[in-house]
Amino acid sequence: MKLNTWFFLSFLISSIVLIPIITVFSSFFENTSNYYEILKNTFLIEYIVNSFILLTSVLIFTFLIGTCAAYLVSFYKFPGSDFFKWALILSFAVPPYIYAYSLTAFFENYGTAFTILKNLFGNGDYNKNIPKFDGMFGAILSISFSLYAYVYILARASFLYQSQNLIDLGKNLGFSKFKSFYKIILPAARPAIVAGLSLVAMETLAEFGAVDFFSINTLTTGIYNSWIYFDDLAFANRISFFLLMFIFSLFILENLSRRKAKYHFNSKGGFKQKEKRKLFGFEAFLAFIFCFLIFFISFLFPLTQMMYWTIKFPENLFDLQISNLVLNTLYLVILSSLILIIFSLISNYGNRVSKNKTLNFLSTLSISGYAIPGVILAIAFITFIAWFDNSIIKLLGFASIKKIFIGSIFGLVLVYFVRFYSLAFNGIKSGYEKMNISVDESAYLLGYSKRKTFMNIHIPFLRNSLLFIIILISLEIIRELPITLILRPFNFETFATTAYISASEDLLEAAAVPSLFLILIASLFIMITSKYILREKYE
Amino acid sequence: MNNNFFEINNVDFKVGNKVKVKNVSFSIQNEGDIICLLGPSGIGKTTILRTIAGLQNIDKGSIELRGKTLSSKKINIEPENRNVSLAFQENSLFPHYDVKKNILLGTERNKGKKKQSINFEELIDLLDISQILNKYPHEISAGEAQRASLARSLITQPDLLLLDEPLSNVDQSFKEEIQEKLKKILNNFKITTIIVTHDSYEAFYLGSKCGIILNQELKQFDDPYNVYHLPNSVDVVNFLNRGILIPAEVTSPKSLENIDLGTITGNFIKPFPIGSKVKLLIQPEDLHHDDASNLKFEVIDRKFRGTNFIYTLKTPTNTLIPVFVHSHHIHQHEVDEKFGIKRPIHIDHIVCF
Repeated sequence: MKLNTWFFLSFLISSIVLIPIITVFSSFFENTSNYYEILKNTFLIEYIVNSFILLTSVLIFTFLIGTCAAYLVSFYKFPGSDFFKWALILSFAVPPYIYAYSLTAFFENYGTAFTILKNLFGNGDYNKNIPKFDGMFGAILSISFSLYAYVYILARASFLYQSQNLIDLGKNLGFSKFKSFYKIILPAARPAIVAGLSLVAMETLAEFGAVDFFSINTLTTGIYNSWIYFDDLAFANRISFFLLMFIFSLFILENLSRRKAKYHFNSKGGFKQKEKRKLFGFEAFLAFIFCFLIFFISFLFPLTQMMYWTIKFPENLFDLQISNLVLNTLYLVILSSLILIIFSLISNYGNRVSKNKTLNFLSTLSISGYAIPGVILAIAFITFIAWFDNSIIKLLGFASIKKIFIGSIFGLVLVYFVRFYSLAFNGIKSGYEKMNISVDESAYLLGYSKRKTFMNIHIPFLRNSLLFIIILISLEIIRELPITLILRPFNFETFATTAYISASEDLLEAAAVPSLFLILIASLFIMITSKYILREKYE
Repeated sequence: MNNNFFEINNVDFKVGNKVKVKNVSFSIQNEGDIICLLGPSGIGKTTILRTIAGLQNIDKGSIELRGKTLSSKKINIEPENRNVSLAFQENSLFPHYDVKKNILLGTERNKGKKKQSINFEELIDLLDISQILNKYPHEISAGEAQRASLARSLITQPDLLLLDEPLSNVDQSFKEEIQEKLKKILNNFKITTIIVTHDSYEAFYLGSKCGIILNQELKQFDDPYNVYHLPNSVDVVNFLNRGILIPAEVTSPKSLENIDLGTITGNFIKPFPIGSKVKLLIQPEDLHHDDASNLKFEVIDRKFRGTNFIYTLKTPTNTLIPVFVHSHHIHQHEVDEKFGIKRPIHIDHIVCF
């Protein structure tokens, strides 16, 4: 393959990914209905205020939980510390909406908490004493305990790569442990923590399932509602634009801090592996309790709640066509992963060999798809297809293409592609960053063509990264809700959509079975990847 | 018709739009010759190698190998089709293959070619890397990686081998041994080689010709002996740091006069008219110690360099002159003492500018 073919392919892929993003931006200049004027003065303020409260609270929670847990397992040895090191990322297996179902199921009137108290102490009016975690507070808790792992993973990686020299420096200066933490360790890990918080922020603003369940009106649910209930695509796009602008500013912030984080990780010179300090007695007990509580609340609690209901209402297990759901989920996962990996590889390689600044810029823009909430992407996709069908296809006299793209596996996978392209692209890119360009040049000088270098040198080198990316994408697709909900073909369900539909019909017991399966499958994927996510060797 | 094995004609070597070395021309006459390019860091030596390898293009002049144009404004043969091998200065081993596989990948190019091939075991033995064959690049030292990379390049038996600072990371104690072995392999298999280095002794030992690159130009391209003893410009003298230039007046076809040293006799490498005011190159080995001499200067510094001392002497006109003295020499002089210079002063090759 000639150099310009790689360039062309790479250019094409990046351009396709950019289409929905451009659609959202262009929709800002379109006319909206009267409904917009009404909403602008009423709900819009509520949407913005709610989004802001939700975002701020989740950021504070995830920062506290993620950073403290990461600090404990990175710097100290205590009973269970090796277990918690990876167990604390299992919360990723519980999407916020499933956490929300568990929270409600446990604390609602005559819920699981009530049953436990009744079994322990006999009949009584316990409902009034059981706290209710619903509404905004429920949403904050659900999202925080599901997403804190972003902060935990990045903060831990940063703490882990802090050289012993840095910690010794604090001791030399006569700092106490606490002073060392906030004067030296925390500032050094700041870029990583900010990067983690930015991811949390993007996911929070994009969150649909949990906020919808708790009936909180945020910008994201506003977009969904104005499209589904009011059939106002233009207004949905208009809110999307505001949300997108907000998210882009977070994205830029995240990008800036990530650049610093990269600098930090690469500074191998003078690196001295630090030794973890062993905790004893009460200190060890406190560290254990803290980590255990986080692990229990974030993972064991929703898991056992879902298990309890599955056992209590076994009929739901038999009502559900599990094999169909597994097949559907696998089908989506395999198809999407393959497409994402192949196209991201081509795009990355095109960037690497062509060293073209325009292409580089386009690729950077195209990976912003991850920052765009699934709801917006799905609606932008429908908007684009509708426009393309009405103005181009019709004009040319062809039959409508809407059915090919909307309500089809093809359309669904295409939007997954846009949404998760950055995961695959960045994953491969960071794999490539470990490979000096002189490796490619050495291959050429050994007589390897560009294609042979790609197939025989790059692919084997990236093998582990690719496996890791496939699992990450799979995890995302298994948990993904709004895109699947909007674009799936008729009667095509996944564990996520089945759980959502049951929950939205107030059949929480029925939502338990798909939720449990979702948690178990996702946990399995996390366990496979934990080796990569939590690697301790300096690579 | 041009009969040179390899030739560079009027090429500007560039990185992006920036010219690093301009208007370079030199040739390698015979297959199997080794030449070395010397110059300070960042001057563009690596750019020259990368361009010859085809990793960078040229827009002026031409590069030819065996009479075939590899690069010119219109032609640019892809690196994989040149049969030119470049061993990079930094670790460029394939990170996911062990050292053995890395080296053996180099043999693929010559499969099916009727050429006496370099024996793998022999090569491993010569470069002393048998103990790292099963290790991965990140598990070995920089010096070992450099030798492994060298082995991979050598085993390809290219038409032209390019070595970028091939021994810069190799321990000093081991360097001379490797240099000898490298020279032996290159000569045995008649591998035409261009070596880039900043180590003048390495260049003088390995190369049959040396090129000195300074101030964006190839200043001198000559035998190592001539580069060392007969530098053709003040820049080359300064780069090789081989002494000092003192003012003198040509008094006859075989002598000069300096205010501090008096009459100096010898053979001019380039004639100057009598009465010319010139700058005379005094190298440390040109002057000899003699306590009995009445030409005495003050010692202001003495450096111990193993086999030699280098004395720095101050003349009455405040010129600082370096003089080599064998370190076994019985009479050592301390700083501030007087140091005698043997008279008459005779220099075999008189270098003036």
